[in-house]
Amino acid sequence: MFQYTGYILAGVVGTVAITVAAFLIGAVLGVPLAVASRSAYRVVRWPAISVIEVFRSVPNLVWLFLVFFGLPEVGIRLGPWATAIITLGVTSSAYLAEIYRGGFSGLGQGQWLASKALGLTTWDRGRYVLAPQLARVVSPTMATYAISLLKESALASTIGVVELTFRGGLVAQRTGDGLTTFVVVGLVYLVLSLPLAYTSRRVDSRLRAKFSVG
Amino acid sequence: MSGLDTREQAVESDAFLAASGVTMRFGDHVAVRDVTLGLARGQVVSIIGPSGAGKSTFLRCVNFLEIPTAGTIRVGGTSLTVGPGTRPREKDIQPLRRKLGMVFQNFNLFPHLTVLRNVSLAQERVLGRSPAEAEARSMSLLERVGLADKASAYPGRCSGGQQQRVAIARALALDPAVMLFDEPTSALDPEVGAEVLAVMKELAGEGMTMLVVTHEMAFARDVSDRIVVMVDGAVVEAGEPHKVMSDPEHPRTRGFLSAVLGR
Repeated sequence: MFQYTGYILAGVVGTVAITVAAFLIGAVLGVPLAVASRSAYRVVRWPAISVIEVFRSVPNLVWLFLVFFGLPEVGIRLGPWATAIITLGVTSSAYLAEIYRGGFSGLGQGQWLASKALGLTTWDRGRYVLAPQLARVVSPTMATYAISLLKESALASTIGVVELTFRGGLVAQRTGDGLTTFVVVGLVYLVLSLPLAYTSRRVDSRLRAKFSVG
Repeated sequence: MSGLDTREQAVESDAFLAASGVTMRFGDHVAVRDVTLGLARGQVVSIIGPSGAGKSTFLRCVNFLEIPTAGTIRVGGTSLTVGPGTRPREKDIQPLRRKLGMVFQNFNLFPHLTVLRNVSLAQERVLGRSPAEAEARSMSLLERVGLADKASAYPGRCSGGQQQRVAIARALALDPAVMLFDEPTSALDPEVGAEVLAVMKELAGEGMTMLVVTHEMAFARDVSDRIVVMVDGAVVEAGEPHKVMSDPEHPRTRGFLSAVLGR
């Protein structure tokens, strides 16, 4: 089976590509969603909260099937890669919006009041006071989410995206050695997520040592 | 009624900070009821009263951290009036806010910036001072509040009393004409609060105009030129500290004082 290791490893590219692309889409779309969900206006807030809840309540696998098998019936046809990236990106925006929301409320009103009283403009308040603190508060949770998204990306194999898990499936069928194959696949996921976890821990504890938000 | 006396004082031309007819409504609840008061330049006025009397809300209306439902605030030659249907924009508020420094009950230092950056940031961004200028000014203020050695520390490494003194330096760094203090010692142990009160006393001695919401009766009595008593959102009594403390006119003042002074 080990002659197929290279073939399996080539799947890393697909897995990482889906994860990174979906994460970036989610991280960007999550910002307006989070801001809207905290709006003072009900007509803005309510739809945003509904969108967040709907995306988070339905399994990603169901969303993938819905987009891949359902949308063609209404004339929207996306390839497997596009389906995986767009679907996981959009559902990620809901999860990340919720993470941002948590960060906002953790900061408390005092920071906002103090920076206003000092006469900082809205832009400067965001740039020098809110954003750095928010980044500090949400980065560990975002890293945790990135790791779970890396694992979720395996779902794309079910709609024919040739990534890590899909390749593992092919090799297992060809060699009949499912045990070795999927141990290797599992190890690759482990190796991919460990640096992410390690870096986020280190960054977090370094920042924590420097200052505590509160 | 004594409410009228305070109104007359506010319209005196020598009032440097004048609040008139300030009212703040939250739905049906009236948090601040037609408050009018004035401070001459260099005067220290303490606002006392039971919790929930609207003292802090009123103070936040003075620099428009809360937009009052109605009223006028004037500092020197800068004034801003709001009423039903007129909601000031950020840039209308800015000139007034620049003349007012504010110190909060919970310090509200920026935890991700060093003590020095806390004091320098707004000098650079709001007043356009160069980093070197700002730093020099910050250091001299930190020295003044006795914390020059903490300049490179983060607020999380400072005690509450130290944080509050940094907050005072941060507000002073913008050269405000009037300082607003919102219960500056309420979150501190009494002995730590004393450091903060000492700094405030010194400021008052140097002629800073100060409006102080406080529960520190000793400070109100010894340092302020005038005491204003607020109950249920309204000013019920105002006058010389000794007069208000020892011979209050309004029954609500008497009730409040006997509760806090235990007599």
